[in-house]
Amino acid sequence: MLVLDRVGKIYPNGVNALERFSAEINLGEIVAIIGGSGCGKSTLLRTVAGLDRATSGTVTLDNISIVAPHAKIGIIFQEPRLLPWLSVADNIGFGLSDLPAAARREKVARALARVGLSDKANAWPRELSGGQAQRVAIARALVPQPEVLLLDEPFSALDAFTRRDLQDHLLDLWADTRPTLVLVTHDVDEAVVLADRALVMRPRPGRLFEEIRINLARPRDRNSPLFDSFKRRVLTALDRSLDRNVPDREAKSNAGEAMWW
Amino acid sequence: MAMTVELSASAESEPVAKAAAPGRLRRWTRPALGLLLPLGLALAWELIVGLGYSNGRLVPPPTKIFATIVDLARSGELTRHIVATLSRVFAGFALGVVAGTLLGAVAGYWSLARRLLDPTVQALRAIPSIAWVPLFILWLGIFETSKVALIAVGVFFPVYLGVMGAIMSVDRKIVEVGRTFRLSGPTMIRRILLPAVLPAYVVSLRVGLGLGWMFVVAAEFMGASEGLGYLLIDGQQLGKPAQILAAIVIFAILGKTTDWLIEIGFAPLLRWQDAFSRQSGGA
Repeated sequence: MLVLDRVGKIYPNGVNALERFSAEINLGEIVAIIGGSGCGKSTLLRTVAGLDRATSGTVTLDNISIVAPHAKIGIIFQEPRLLPWLSVADNIGFGLSDLPAAARREKVARALARVGLSDKANAWPRELSGGQAQRVAIARALVPQPEVLLLDEPFSALDAFTRRDLQDHLLDLWADTRPTLVLVTHDVDEAVVLADRALVMRPRPGRLFEEIRINLARPRDRNSPLFDSFKRRVLTALDRSLDRNVPDREAKSNAGEAMWW
Repeated sequence: MAMTVELSASAESEPVAKAAAPGRLRRWTRPALGLLLPLGLALAWELIVGLGYSNGRLVPPPTKIFATIVDLARSGELTRHIVATLSRVFAGFALGVVAGTLLGAVAGYWSLARRLLDPTVQALRAIPSIAWVPLFILWLGIFETSKVALIAVGVFFPVYLGVMGAIMSVDRKIVEVGRTFRLSGPTMIRRILLPAVLPAYVVSLRVGLGLGWMFVVAAEFMGASEGLGYLLIDGQQLGKPAQILAAIVIFAILGKTTDWLIEIGFAPLLRWQDAFSRQSGGA
């Protein structure tokens, strides 16, 4: 289980990016962290990845405190970040250097087939399209079989069609070993397609605002009314997190006024 | 808006036009076009001297330069001079590259070292390298050591700057990938930093080598009994312009060849970078 306990982050320049963020995420769960810009969602993910250290609170995975990158935690960034001097196959095998060459080759070949890029094994990263490159990045992160996979707006740089494609593909890959997925996104659709739970954050300082369980069976139909209703719930929560939903706020203040009277 | 449309239109039409020309023809015609002017001038000068319009004493015709090279080669003089110059360049280049790479790497990797070291190196760089000559002669004598030292100084600065700049500009995002895979310091250097800085490093080596060839001439001017620079001075003092031009031609050939050796030596390691330009060039 991945446990975030009152995680806070204040950058050296005084920006309070994240404040007392707590969550418990079970093995195999898919959690989407969603929020407007500047609500600390990337900061949160980098802290879980061990790339940045929290200024307060703790991140623990199976009772191991995470303060540096850990073998059980993989991460996929917004950009593929492939190493341009390695072939596609070598990029995927980058995290497997401890394995003997034969085992590594076999795992890489399987991963390549799994992401549908077997014919690109010897291509250079620069020869790939954006979607293909991100697939390679996904394969590279999954091939060491992490227990937790973090995704930082992984599909936001892709066109809508490729994005959908990769979302479905990610779920497909996830079903193989069922790692925990923690996905940062600003795309409500993406959160509802993928996640068991959406954690809505609010900005300045970044805090947890609302938690929405998405009890939808997989595979999810993007056009079903139920899907729409979940989408609307997340959107409403997002709006409220940014103090934008006027009707709802009125209802609240009316209630408050009534009590005050 | 209209601007971008026009741009994309011309960018598209160009490859089409190129593709239309047969590839083999294009591969040979382009360098041949570049040779047209020098070869034409050489031929014209040869004719002018041959027909007696000029005596060609100060500007000897190509055949005379060629004959001078053949004469020098036959007597074994040429080999001796080339070996002398080449060994100076190599010794100085090796020294300069080793020192430039080490200091550049330290300064690029470690910011405290950069703050300590870089201002001094930059101040020394501002001194024209030839200004060291009298001092080097006093310290190291008139023979090989002072010459090699001067060449090494010339090679050092571009290599130092190139390595330091390359390390400092390595993409933080790529380094982060290394961190997420928990690479240790040495592994990070081997698997991320070295390949990332290699293209810039090769460029700085080539710049360094170019300066090495420049400084070997300066070094050989300051009193040498052999070497291509000596041939130049000797040709001037004895009034043999053909010998001067012969030495210049050989300098050009050697400089281009050594530069090319560096280029093809590193080519296998830089294929990833090269793939695109070669593809678009060959299409």
